[in-house]
Amino acid sequence: MTTVPVPAPGAASGDAAATAPALRVAIIGNPNTGKTTLFNALTGLRQRVGNFAGVTVERVEGAFRLDDGRRVAVLDLPGSYSLSAGSPDEQIALEVLLGRDRDRWRPDVVLVVVDAVHLERNLFLTSQVMELGVPVVVALNQVDMAADEGIRIDVPELIHELGVTVVPTVAKTGEGLDALKRALFASATLPAPVRRFSLPPTVDAALAPLVGVLEADGIPAGAARMEALRLLSVRRHEVHLARVPGLDSGVRGAVDAVRAAGYNPERLEADARYAWIGQVTGRVLQRRERVAPSATDRIDAIALHRVWGPLCFVLLMAVVFQSVFTWATPIMDGIEGVLARVGEWIGARMPEGELRSLVVDGVIAGVGSVVVFLPQIAILFAFIGVLEQSGYMARAAFLVDRIMRRVGLHGQSFIPMLSGYACAVPGIMATRTISDPKDRLATIMVVPLMSCSARLPVYTLLIGAFVPATALVPGLGLQGAVMLLMYLLGTVTAFGVAALFKRTLLRGPARPMILELPPYRWPGMRSLGVSVAQRCRLFLQRAGTVILAISIVLWALATYPRLPDDPSLPEATRQERQLEHSALGHIGKAIEPAVRPLGYDWKIGVSIAASFAAREVFVSTMGTIYGVGSEDDRALRERLVGERSAVSGRPAYTPLVAVSLMVFYVYALMCISTVAITVREAGGGRLGWRWAGIQFGYMLVLAWVAAWLVYRGGLALGFAGAG
Amino acid sequence: MTTVLKPQPTFQPDPATTCALAACEPGIRARIVALCCGSEEACRLRALGVSEGAPIEVIDRRHSMVVNVRGTRLALGSPLTATITVQPLALA
Repeated sequence: MTTVPVPAPGAASGDAAATAPALRVAIIGNPNTGKTTLFNALTGLRQRVGNFAGVTVERVEGAFRLDDGRRVAVLDLPGSYSLSAGSPDEQIALEVLLGRDRDRWRPDVVLVVVDAVHLERNLFLTSQVMELGVPVVVALNQVDMAADEGIRIDVPELIHELGVTVVPTVAKTGEGLDALKRALFASATLPAPVRRFSLPPTVDAALAPLVGVLEADGIPAGAARMEALRLLSVRRHEVHLARVPGLDSGVRGAVDAVRAAGYNPERLEADARYAWIGQVTGRVLQRRERVAPSATDRIDAIALHRVWGPLCFVLLMAVVFQSVFTWATPIMDGIEGVLARVGEWIGARMPEGELRSLVVDGVIAGVGSVVVFLPQIAILFAFIGVLEQSGYMARAAFLVDRIMRRVGLHGQSFIPMLSGYACAVPGIMATRTISDPKDRLATIMVVPLMSCSARLPVYTLLIGAFVPATALVPGLGLQGAVMLLMYLLGTVTAFGVAALFKRTLLRGPARPMILELPPYRWPGMRSLGVSVAQRCRLFLQRAGTVILAISIVLWALATYPRLPDDPSLPEATRQERQLEHSALGHIGKAIEPAVRPLGYDWKIGVSIAASFAAREVFVSTMGTIYGVGSEDDRALRERLVGERSAVSGRPAYTPLVAVSLMVFYVYALMCISTVAITVREAGGGRLGWRWAGIQFGYMLVLAWVAAWLVYRGGLALGFAGAG
Repeated sequence: MTTVLKPQPTFQPDPATTCALAACEPGIRARIVALCCGSEEACRLRALGVSEGAPIEVIDRRHSMVVNVRGTRLALGSPLTATITVQPLALA
């Protein structure tokens, strides 16, 4: 990868690597304004996903080119309702806008995305951003929806009131984008906007010393006035102001002085801004009196209904899961077929030997076993995207709030947990919307208990091999039921563990739910496609790096040291002897005493050991061990069922062993990416490692104990154990 | 540029006519009088438009509430709605 001559780590943008951007634009806006859709429409697939330095707030950067070839770099700031509430997201946004971001990404222009349907509320953030001393362009987005709702906005008058360029847009269809691009360039040379209202002289005087303290630390005059007003109602420790000398006493003095002037310091900023916003909307906004209930009202009457609401929710979740499994199957079969053919093709063209073995058995089998799950991941992320963009996700959070409250969490923890079904990494990243640090940590601790897509290969292999495909009721077979049971087990445990954390290590008052229920809308297909493609790319990158490396190491461990070839023995016996003799075999034997009580032999021990970095490696390791190449799922299943114990001659694996093994995988945290994300999300450094250690440890203990209980319980009930 | 702020409180409600938001039935429109919750919650609420003086309409009430404020639909948890004081205006 080449680097871009901008100092931002992770800011390199493939095709445009050679030139520094002619313009840098930061996009900010309230959640649900179509901000991400606009970002996707502007930059297309030219995006890079990473994290802001030192925190795990997701950092998405992209670029576009103007017709004359000039390049514009665009940074998508996290969705924020204001710059005041002190969540990690909002702090990051503020740091970037003030030029105090640790990645040193200074925008030349700030693009504020304003939802035309909710102009009044959106102008709160806009008015804050307008005071920061950076040129501003407003994209008045979703003007089509506003028109449908009977809202008319006088754009020239709004430009006059705000003193900045306003471009009406419909991000979903691309309307207004060209004008927006031109406006971004034109505005970069315009003077930055200023505060459009004034405070009473007594208040200005009360704030002056605090403004002085901030200016002395290098914050520009306008921004310092914004910060002074904002700090009256914010009591949090804020990183970007941590080293301003005399800040605490300055804030205390300002609070007292404002109170002495006859104003309530906590509500001063909101009162001042909403009073100004009231004047602006009075001049620019015309709203047709609504007579009939809106589409959102009508949908909510069902979606939030006391009986139909939960029913719809359960039904929808069932449809999501069913589709992930059924729709993906033909595509997965196709990928398997292609991989098998590639393996054969390469196998036939390479000379017999170590290298061929490495490429076919190591690389293609190992990476292939993971790539096969791409369709499921794409479908799951597409569903999550649709639920989010349509506005239903917030309703789901509202519906489950009561259940979540019982365990000490609230509805907002639901979205990270649901995302955890796809992958714990985005799930843990989604916890950043939870403002209370203890609630956030408790959610982070349990997200990996939700069965993620990496467990699917393990479940699929074991269920396919050991659970008969009998029908329980029409539409639901025993195999599906067992799969559902595994998901339920993880989910129920997640609630229990969260409750335990909230009553012990993370004791604290439950934060009340404050959640916007956005109007329902059709998801934008283009933006959805970009988001899903982005997730798939991240997944493939992982398959191409971490899992490729593990596959090669595993192949080497399973192949060396070599046993002298004895052609008199049958092929299968030779393979097994070689494996036992190999380094991997020795590791497996060393682990065996720890997994023997669970009914596992050394081969499973090897696979568990190998999958500590990534669960899905279990399947590829089993594939490597049995030399069948795991892209050939059926062959591996047959080998597992046919495997006999060398001692007793009875089947080595029984349905009981398979269930015990699945339970182990429901609970065990075997994923290097999750550990890494927890370290950073839980505070980084030693604190982060401590929480990641607690998470890994409790999940491993839980996995072992639960698998032991299942196995021993099953034996006591008369089920056949391992041979 | 206009001075927009008047000395507070700008809106002096009659204590006999105010109540907690949690006590309002669906369909009731009211004006927000005071946010008596923690300052962090108050800060978030104000950014979402739930500020003193704003009109609020109750859409649904159960363990938590669904309300409309400044054209935005919000779900508010039950401990919170008990700490928001409102003055009901009229039945819808």
